[in-house]
Parts: sequence; structure tokens; C-alpha cells
Amino acid sequence: MASDPIETVSAPLKRLMCLGCGFSYDEALGLPEHGLAPGTRWEDVPEDWVCPDCGTPKSGFEMVVVGYAEGGPELAQRA
Amino acid sequence: MFDTTLSPLPAPVAKAVAPIPSARHSFVLRAQERGHDLIRSDGTRSSYVAGHPDGFITRESSFNFHEYQSGRPGFGPIRVFGDEVFHGAGCGYNMHSHHNFVICAFVLQGELTHINTAGSGTVDRLRAGDYYVFSAGSGGKHCELSISQEDMNAIYIWFLPGQLYLPPSYHKGHFDFRTRRDRIEQLVGEADGALPIPNDIRVSRLITDAGKKHTYRPRSSSHGTYVFVLEGSLRCGDTVLERRGSLGISGVDEIEVQTTADTTDVLFVEVMMMDDDVIKKWERAQPGH
Repeated sequence: MASDPIETVSAPLKRLMCLGCGFSYDEALGLPEHGLAPGTRWEDVPEDWVCPDCGTPKSGFEMVVVGYAEGGPELAQRA
Repeated sequence: MFDTTLSPLPAPVAKAVAPIPSARHSFVLRAQERGHDLIRSDGTRSSYVAGHPDGFITRESSFNFHEYQSGRPGFGPIRVFGDEVFHGAGCGYNMHSHHNFVICAFVLQGELTHINTAGSGTVDRLRAGDYYVFSAGSGGKHCELSISQEDMNAIYIWFLPGQLYLPPSYHKGHFDFRTRRDRIEQLVGEADGALPIPNDIRVSRLITDAGKKHTYRPRSSSHGTYVFVLEGSLRCGDTVLERRGSLGISGVDEIEVQTTADTTDVLFVEVMMMDDDVIKKWERAQPGH
């Protein structure tokens, strides 16, 4: 189900990290190579989606407030 | 060090005990209150856990996350503090991928063969007193094996990084039991001779004898310190910690420990306390918090 468009505009974009392996999902970047367009909200990522690296389910991800190293966003988007 | 096929385990109950008056956050976790896993190299896990068919890993976890285990989800940026034993020649974790997490291992017994892909890659053999800091950063694989007949015991700590997608890195150090006895020696984090780590983290170790008093001073009272007794016993305020017992404390300028057994061996893990919703939510749900 799509997010409420009003909430989508107002809520800050989140970053989440897989607690199984450290793989990150960034709402701003999406994961285009895994079919998730930039801007895809975490709640709009399918419930049966799992970490592409280690298979951890969505519930095993934790929101993090951590910035990127230089060049990090480009690497994260292609991870 | 994480297996999605494991079923939830009984909650290790961290008690809200203030070991030092005026401490802002504190908890005590006894050895037997930690989460316990026994992971055999069988079935689908044999691709992850090495040493099939006889190998198995035992893991005592101080911190636990989400539905895999209940209990305190972490302390500052610490997400995993695992006291692990690889049983049987060839046992360990086969090569697998990480991002971002900073993984440290402190070898206590046996020999650890560690292979990682950071930089041009490393094959390393670590024995008691050796330790490493592996920052997976933008992507790094590692393999952890015990290839001799002797069981391998190590403490594995996983930290959130200060930045995402850093260049992967690996550093190794050695703690000399003989020449560094009776003082708190910093092993990891900004200090001469300590291994670099990409976050505001310091790991120190003390090996000393009964009746000695030592004072650990975190960089500020905003830092939290996780005190873990590897061997022996100590008193900290009103709390006595036995082997593999631990406490976490923040909001204090210093932590005095008095050792009560010969060859008491202690790790101090100092971290910046984060404004962490997951941990706060867990704390609010606990009676006594």
C-alpha cells in the first residue's frame, strides 16, 4: 500500500541498517538494481522483502542516523 | 554471527541496578542471563557455519535484537557482544559479506584463522592476546575459522560506524599479558599504539591481581562504559561481578573497580551514548526502568 502523500512530503527520509550484516537501505537512494526506485519509503518496501546480502527480514533492520563517507551514497545505491 | 533460522530464546533479564550512585544509565548482566545459542553446522546452516558435520558454535550474547532474541538491544553503538566458542577442527563462519559494521575480535583461547577482503585482502592467524578491528565499510567479506583441535574462544563486538560506506579496513594488535599487567591498557581507539576505529569508541583491557583498585576514566560523562569480566571477579560500587558478568554505565566521570580474584581480566568498552529509539523503547518496557 502506498504511503500517505502528505506524510511522504513532510516526513524526513530514513536510513536503515540490516542488523544481520550491515547492509543499508536509504529511502532517498532506493535500490534501483533491486527494483526499488529512489524515494521508496521503507513502509512501501514489500513485507516479504529480505536483505539482498544475508536474507534478514525487514523487521531485522534498524533506523540509523549516520552520515555517509565521501562517495558513499553512490556506492550505497549500487550495493 | 547471525542466523535468521534461529528461534527466539528466553529473555536474558538485565536488572536495573545502579552500581555507582548518580549514574545516568546502568545495568548489570550476569553470565547466565546472556542469550545462548548453539549453532550446528547442519542443514541449511552448513553453508554459513563451517565444520560440517561435527562443528558447532556456542555463543553467549550480551545484547540482542528484534525478534531473534529479546533483551537489551545494545549499548550506545554496540549491537553485538558475543562470547563465542568454535568447537571442533574446521569450525567457524564461512566467508560471508558485511557492510558498515565495525567488527572486533579479541581472542582468548585457541587459534583463530581470520580471512578478509579489505584492501588487497588478509589471511591472519590470531592467538590468545591478539585482536583485530575489521571495518566492513562499503563492503567486505570475512571468514572466521578454528582449524586446530583446540576450541577457539573469542569476544566478538559489532559497532555501528561513525560514517556509512567508508573504505573497508583491517588492523591487528596484540595485548602482552606479561609486560602490560596491572594497568588499564587501551587497545582500540585514539591513543598511541591502539588500533584505529571509525567511531568514538575505546576498548581497554586490565589484567591484575586480587585486592587491586583501578579507576577507568571515560573521555566524558556523556560516554558510556561497558565493563565485562573475562576472568576472575571484581567489585564496582555495590556490585560484584563474577566471570563473564558485566555492567553498563554512563553519566559518571570515573569507574573504580576493585579486583577480588587473582588474574582478574577485564574489558572496558567506552562508547558515545546515542539517542537511540530502539534501546529507549526497550528500556521503557522493562519493570524498574
